[in-house]
Amino acid sequence: MHRFMRAISVLFVVMVFLISSQAQHARAGKADDTLVVAFKSAILSLDYVFTVKREYVILSEMIDDGLFYTDPDSLKPVPLAAKSYERVSDTQIDVELREGITFHDGSSFSADDVVYTYRFLLDPKNKTKRGTIYGRWLKGVEKTGPYSVRFTLKYPYPLAVQALGRGVPLRKAGAYDGVEAGKIPAGNIHTGIGPYKVTEFHAGKQTTLERHEGYYQSSPKGRAKIGKVIIRTIPDWSTQQAELFSGGVNWMFSVPTDIAVNAGSLPMVKFISGPSMRVGFIILDAGGYTDPDGPLTKLEVRRALIHAIDREAIVKYLVKGQSSVIDAACHPLQFGCLDDVRKYKFDPELARRKLAEAGYPDGIKLDFWAYREKEVAEAIAADLEKAGVRVNFRYVKLPTLNKARRKRQIESYFGTWASGSVADVAAIASRHWSKNTDRDFSRDPRVSEYMNAAERVSDPAKREQLYKKALQLIADQAYWVPLYAFTLNYLTSPDVDFQAPKDGFPRLYLVGWK
Amino acid sequence: MINYALKRGALALLVAFTVSLATFFLLNFSTDPAEVIAGEDAEPEVVEVIREQYGFNRPLIVQYGSWLKGLSQGDFGESYYWRRPVLDLVIEHAPVTIQLALMAVFVTIVVALPLAIFAAMKPNSIVDRMALSTAVAAQAIPNFWLGLLFIILFAVTFPIFPVSGDSSFAHFIMPAIVLGTSSVPAVMRLARTGLLDVLSSDYIRTARSKGYRGTTLLVRHALRNAMLPVVSVMAIQLGHKLGGSVVVESVFALNGLGRLALDSILGSDVPTVQMLVFVFALIFVLLTFLSDILNAWIDPRMRLR
Repeated sequence: MHRFMRAISVLFVVMVFLISSQAQHARAGKADDTLVVAFKSAILSLDYVFTVKREYVILSEMIDDGLFYTDPDSLKPVPLAAKSYERVSDTQIDVELREGITFHDGSSFSADDVVYTYRFLLDPKNKTKRGTIYGRWLKGVEKTGPYSVRFTLKYPYPLAVQALGRGVPLRKAGAYDGVEAGKIPAGNIHTGIGPYKVTEFHAGKQTTLERHEGYYQSSPKGRAKIGKVIIRTIPDWSTQQAELFSGGVNWMFSVPTDIAVNAGSLPMVKFISGPSMRVGFIILDAGGYTDPDGPLTKLEVRRALIHAIDREAIVKYLVKGQSSVIDAACHPLQFGCLDDVRKYKFDPELARRKLAEAGYPDGIKLDFWAYREKEVAEAIAADLEKAGVRVNFRYVKLPTLNKARRKRQIESYFGTWASGSVADVAAIASRHWSKNTDRDFSRDPRVSEYMNAAERVSDPAKREQLYKKALQLIADQAYWVPLYAFTLNYLTSPDVDFQAPKDGFPRLYLVGWK
Repeated sequence: MINYALKRGALALLVAFTVSLATFFLLNFSTDPAEVIAGEDAEPEVVEVIREQYGFNRPLIVQYGSWLKGLSQGDFGESYYWRRPVLDLVIEHAPVTIQLALMAVFVTIVVALPLAIFAAMKPNSIVDRMALSTAVAAQAIPNFWLGLLFIILFAVTFPIFPVSGDSSFAHFIMPAIVLGTSSVPAVMRLARTGLLDVLSSDYIRTARSKGYRGTTLLVRHALRNAMLPVVSVMAIQLGHKLGGSVVVESVFALNGLGRLALDSILGSDVPTVQMLVFVFALIFVLLTFLSDILNAWIDPRMRLR
């Protein structure tokens, strides 16, 4: 019996050793020049053309290049695969391409590939999500030389150069041959011209990238700093943290603040908080869609609601990080987002007085909807209650909120918008203030006129003036309750050299080792 | 016996069909798959393209009819997200869940049976009470909490096991222990009760009088008879493991059917959810059916009911 127990003990020790040595193999880092990235959402396709989700965009920036890209410092579009460009007229842009660019499979890149990419994108029968959006303003593209193309716009669109960048990864001519029109390709065939190439792809599980050694030296993105990047799907925050603690993961993003703060206090973790282009706001039914004589149709009631919410406290105690209170209906980093608008201080007493002046001495009843940031929405509801607003708080899923909004059944809701990390007011205005959007509850034609006009002129000074008028009008009439600019939290291994991007869009090809 | 098997089989198909019908309508009523697929900041035009591309603009009854028609031809549909036949997805993800379930059942047996034996050998003693307390504790601890505790202890503090993933046998050990633990109480109590019944029966008394004692009496005479109900319960527990590993697979980032189910539900991937619910219902029904057959085989009186 004694001998048997000893044998069992030895066997157990050997098993533990073997298993733990396997566990060690899973680790990666500076020594292996391998960065392991954790994504909460699964990557199911390598083709960004068919999706608009953030994780796909981050991956696409690594494996694909567009004609232009957004410079992380200036947040302005600069030529990438394009060498230069010229606005020939308000509706024509000539683009000269760089020579000597090769795809990951070694084939050369030329104007034919650009024409193929854009024509595939714009062809309605292919039903690409990007093409659906681009088709609004982009009429077509033609080849003007072996390394030059001309884009024709439907109308002068100031964001055209920006959009020709990140939104459209360049594909090799014929890349989608054999794909049934309207069907999304399985996504395991990919060749791009970006700084990394895909060497392994397990949909929903793991993607392995290696530095593209043939990447063009003239690229402003520069050569990728880390040799190998593994992107793993780990749906649980706690598991991602544990992987980070044990060295199995080196980089996490979009981490909830409470988790990031706690984990960041440990020596094996670095907590980085950066800005995000996402802003939060409350849209008020000033136009009386839900009730033509409802309290929100009265200016003083809307103003009272802004005075009632302690936005500074929400930012300081709930959102934390790099978030900040906003006063205009846009992100402060966006072009055209001027701060020269009417400001509202937190003053619940003033809010009560304004409600009384508006004919509601006993306060008002308000349906307040939200679909994310529940704790913030609850804090807002609590603030409103203190000012005499009887809040009917409705926390729902986004599709439910969207459906109710389409039917004009929402009196007020907590909305957010990330503008696709585009640093221009047009990226938020077109969706919220254009003529036919269901998000504009104001029924004030002046706002949409200013916003639409700003989207159709190229002169920056004129655009700024138009945005100023629109934003001042929105603030003055309190059509929105501007809340705050979001923060984006990252957790990394201490030896990872990562700078939080200004626009909240992490560019992993810039990440290196300390 | 054949009639009995056929009746149970027909009932199994009816249950699976009803469950798929309920799943389809509940998912479609509770959310808009087009909006979920498009993402939070998607433009309305994009949502409309998706609606058209995936056929969401058709009436629900037509969509369900189309799914049923495909099903009758062996086509379970295509996943909205993966853009692949859901049958392929299930076949691809099943091995991870099957391995996890079998290992979890093994853990359950290895823990529950010795506890049951110790408890039954000395009923109402301190050993019995401790065994029962352990079993109750195992039932009371939530899977996700135990999983995280294991990760902190055995992957971070003492890096014996890998934290997450499914690329090696070692990756399955902690998840299997966590998943297996939850079934310990049911099996342990049943085995203990069975053993106590058997140990007080006449034939055991006869065996004792013949001089059989200890392990020989327990294993050769008592355990074999006491285990018969346990075997059928284990079949049900295996069904639980195959269909109920959603939390454990998420915590340990295992790419099995549970993870696939969770992602599909969160993403309103109706064809995949339907297929999975159908598969899980079939597994349950099949294992219950096998358990019934086993019981009927053991006890002929059941065949007459």
